[in-house]
Amino acid sequence: MEIIEQIKTSKSIDNQTEIQKICLHKLQSSPLPNPKSELWRLSNKSKFLNFLDYSINEKDPKFDAPYPNTSKSNIRLIIGENCQINLIEKNYSIQHLSEDALVKYIKEQISCFDQNENWSDLLNLSLSCTKNILGLKISGSKIPPIEIFSHASSNALNAKTLVIFLEKNCDIDLLQVNLGKDNSSLSQSTFFCLEENSSVNHGVVSYGENKSNLLNSLNVIQQKNSEYNLGSLHFKFNYARFEISIKQSEGNAKTNIKGMQITKKDEQISTYTKIDFRGPNGFLDQINKSLADDKSHAIFEGSIIVPKIAQKTDASQLSRNLLLSNLAQIDTKPQLEIIADDVKCKHGATISQLNEEELFYMRTRGITLTEASKLQLSSYFQEIISFIPVSKDRWDLLDKLLNEN
Amino acid sequence: MGVSFVKVYKANCNKLFLDNMVNENLVKNVVKEPYKYGFVTDIETEKIAKGLNEDIIRLISQKKEEPKYLLDFRLKAFRKWQKMNEPDWAGLGYKQIDYQDIIYYSAPKQKEKISSLDEVDPKLLETFDKLGIPLTEQKKLTNVAVDAVFDSVSIATTFREELAEHGVIFCSISEAVKNHSDLIEQYLGTVVPASDNYFAALNSAVFSDGSFVYIPKGVTCPMDLSSYFRINSGDSGQFERTLIIAEESSSVSYLEGCTAPMFDTNTLHAAVVELIALDDATIKYSTVQNWYAGDEEGIGGIFNFVTKRGKCLGKRSKISWSQVETGSAITWKYPSCLLLGEESVGEFYSVALTNNLQQADTGTKMIHIGPKTKSTIVSKGISAGNSINSYRGLVKMGTKATGSRNYSQCDSMLIGDQASANTFPYIKSQQPNSEIEHEASTCRISEDQLFYLQSRGIEFEEAVSMMVSGFCRDVFNQLPMEFAAEADKLLALKLEGSVG
Repeated sequence: MEIIEQIKTSKSIDNQTEIQKICLHKLQSSPLPNPKSELWRLSNKSKFLNFLDYSINEKDPKFDAPYPNTSKSNIRLIIGENCQINLIEKNYSIQHLSEDALVKYIKEQISCFDQNENWSDLLNLSLSCTKNILGLKISGSKIPPIEIFSHASSNALNAKTLVIFLEKNCDIDLLQVNLGKDNSSLSQSTFFCLEENSSVNHGVVSYGENKSNLLNSLNVIQQKNSEYNLGSLHFKFNYARFEISIKQSEGNAKTNIKGMQITKKDEQISTYTKIDFRGPNGFLDQINKSLADDKSHAIFEGSIIVPKIAQKTDASQLSRNLLLSNLAQIDTKPQLEIIADDVKCKHGATISQLNEEELFYMRTRGITLTEASKLQLSSYFQEIISFIPVSKDRWDLLDKLLNEN
Repeated sequence: MGVSFVKVYKANCNKLFLDNMVNENLVKNVVKEPYKYGFVTDIETEKIAKGLNEDIIRLISQKKEEPKYLLDFRLKAFRKWQKMNEPDWAGLGYKQIDYQDIIYYSAPKQKEKISSLDEVDPKLLETFDKLGIPLTEQKKLTNVAVDAVFDSVSIATTFREELAEHGVIFCSISEAVKNHSDLIEQYLGTVVPASDNYFAALNSAVFSDGSFVYIPKGVTCPMDLSSYFRINSGDSGQFERTLIIAEESSSVSYLEGCTAPMFDTNTLHAAVVELIALDDATIKYSTVQNWYAGDEEGIGGIFNFVTKRGKCLGKRSKISWSQVETGSAITWKYPSCLLLGEESVGEFYSVALTNNLQQADTGTKMIHIGPKTKSTIVSKGISAGNSINSYRGLVKMGTKATGSRNYSQCDSMLIGDQASANTFPYIKSQQPNSEIEHEASTCRISEDQLFYLQSRGIEFEEAVSMMVSGFCRDVFNQLPMEFAAEADKLLALKLEGSVG
C-alpha cells in the first residue's frame, strides 16, 4: 500500500506535472474506490490490494516482443521506450501530440471524472510520468498498421498512458498489446478521440504471466459519422480490470465491440463497459464472452445509456459465458437505461458449459474428447479473435489460447 | 374507379399524416386516468400515538394479546432495525421518511368479538362493496374466499366454514397467533428473517395484521383465496404480514388486491409475505396492486416497500408469483423464490405500469440452491409520463444446483420521450452444469401497427389499449381468471382515460 501512502502525501512523488497534481488532488480525500459501489463490489479485495502492493518503477523494464517484427511496413511503438515519432508521408502523417494539446485534452477529461467511476484513470494519471505518456495525432489514409506495446516489469508497478487523436476522414488499424510480468502491476489508460468520418479497427490484447495484475482503462469519444471497432482479449492475469467508456458525443456514430476474457486457476478478470449515446442515430453492436475454469472468477458489467436526445438509437449487447468448472464463478450484468422512446435496444445473457450434444457428435466421428473440446472452444474464440486487427501469420492468437494458455 | 381509388388513398394519406401529428399528444392523454378508489371511509378508528419505540411495540403486542415469543420477535427485529440504514441502492428519489411521524396501529372501532359478518360495521361492508369486493357470503359471485384488511386489522374472512371442512385454515394472522400458535412459532420469520432488510425488520417489529393460510397434506384448496388490503387513514402506515404454508402435495391459489384513498401526504406501506411449499406443493400468488399513486405533480401516493419471498422447501414444489403493479408513488418490490428442493420450480410474471412521476423498481430473485431446479421470469414494464420503471432481478446458481435452468425475459415499452425504462439483471453462476438465458428488449407503440389497426376501423385509444394488452399477454395468461379480467380492465382504464 506504499502507493496509497504516496498519494495521501503527494509530496513524495517527484517532479509532478500539472496533470499529476490535479489527479493527486482529486484522489487525496478518498484514495481508494468505494468497495460497495456497483463497479467495485465484486472486485476481489486481496487481489486488488496485491495490485497496489508494488512500488512505482520508472526505469525501463526489458521489453520482450511477443512476436517478431517481421513486417517492415508496420509501425511499432513501445510506451516508455522509443516514443519519438514524426512521420509525414504523402498520404498520411503520424506526429507527436504537442504537450499543450495533450495537457489541455487530459484536463478536459479529468474535469468530468468521478472519483469512483474513473478511479483507474485518476490513479494512472497520478503516477504516469511524462516519459510514459504517449500522445499521437494521426491523419490521412492508407496508414500502415500501428502496434503499440505497454509492458510491466517484475516486482514493480508501471503506469503508462496513451492518447490518440484521429483527425477527420482518417482510418487506421491499431493493435495495442499490454504485457504483464511475474509479480507485476500495470496500469494502462488509453484516451481515444475520433473526429468526424474517421474510423479505427482497434485491437487490445492483454496477457500476463504468474501473478501479474492489470488495470486497463479505455476512454473513447466518437464524433459524428465515426466508426469504432474494438476487438479485445484479456487472459493470464492474477487480477485484471478492463474498463471501457465510449461516448458518441453527437450521435450518428457506429460502435462495434467484441471482447473476451479467459480466467483459469484462481484468476479474476472483469470487464466494465459504459456506452453513452449523446445524440441521435447511434449504433452499437456488442458481444462480450467470458470463459471461467478452475477456481477463477469472470465478471462482465455493461451499461447502455440512452437519454432523451438519443432518438433512433439501435443498440444491442450480448454477454455469452462458458463456465467450465464447479469451483469457478461468473457474474454478468448487462444493463439498459433508456429514456428516448424511439429506439431499438436489446440485450441478452447466457451462461452455460460446452455443448454436450456437439461433443457427443464429434466423438461418434472418432474425435477425442480433448480435441472435440478444443474444436468447440476454437469456434467460441474465433469470433472475437478474427475481429482483432493482427494477421495470423505474424501472431497466431488462437493457437496461443488453445495450446499455451 | 381508378380516380376514386386514388382520391381515397390520398385522403387516407392525409389522415395518416394528421394522425401522426396528433398521435403523440393522444398517447399522452390516453395514459391519464383519474384514480377511482380515492374515497375515504368516514369511520371511527382507534389509533395509538405517533412514533416508534419499544413501548409502542409492547403496546401493539399487548393490544393484540400476543404470546411472549412474538413480543420477543418484534423487539429483536426493532433493535436490529435501529442499527440498520435505509437502503439507497435503488436510486429512488423520494423525500426522507420520518419514521417517528407515523401511526403504527390504527383499527376501525368495533365490538370486541365478531361472531358473524352481520356484526361488521355496515360502513366497512359498504366500503368493500364500493371496491367491488363482496364480503357478504350471499353476494358470492365467484368462488373466492376473501380476507379483508382495513388499515391495520383484518375485518372479515369469508367462507371459513366451508374451507375448514377441507382442513384449510384461512384467517387473519392475529387469529392464527391465538389459535394456531404452534404453526406461527414454527414458520414466522423463517423465509424472511427479521434482519433481512430495513423494511422487513420494520415490518417484523410493528406488523399489525395480515393473512394466514395453511393447506394440509394432500389438499387442493377448493376455492381461490383472496385478501384485500385497504389503507384508510392518511397518517398511519400499513404493515401487514402474510404467511402461507402448503403441506405435501397440496395446492393453493392466492390473490391479493390493494387500494388506498387520495391524500396529499405519503403513506408508508411495508409488508412482508412468506410462502413455504413442501414436497409436491404448489402455491400461486397473484397481486393486483393499485395503491394511490399520487397526483400529476407527484404529490401524495403510497410508498410501497414490500418484501415477498417464497421457499420451495420440498422436492418438486412450485411457487409462482404473478403481479400487476399499477399504483404507488414508489414501488420497491422483488418477489423471490428460494429453490431448495430438488426439481422445484419458481416463476415470476410481472406487469408494471408507471405514469406521471411514479417510480417502480421491481423484479425478482431466483436463487437456485437444489439440483434440477427451474425458474422462469417474464417481466413487462410500461413507462409513460415522467415515470421511471426499472426491472432489477437476480438469478443465482449455487454450487449444488446441477442441471438447473433459468429463462428470463424483460420487455419494456416506452410511451412518450420523458419516461425512463431501465433493466438491471444480475446474473451469477457457480455451477457449470446449469443454464441461464436472459433477454431484454425495449420498444414503443409501433406506428405501423397503430396504422394497421386504425385502417381496420379500430379507434385510436382502443388500438393502443389492444397493443398494450397484447404486450402484456404472456403475463395476463398466468393470472387467475378473475384477476386477468380485472388486470386487463385496470390497464385499459389507465390507458383509455379521458379520450375513451
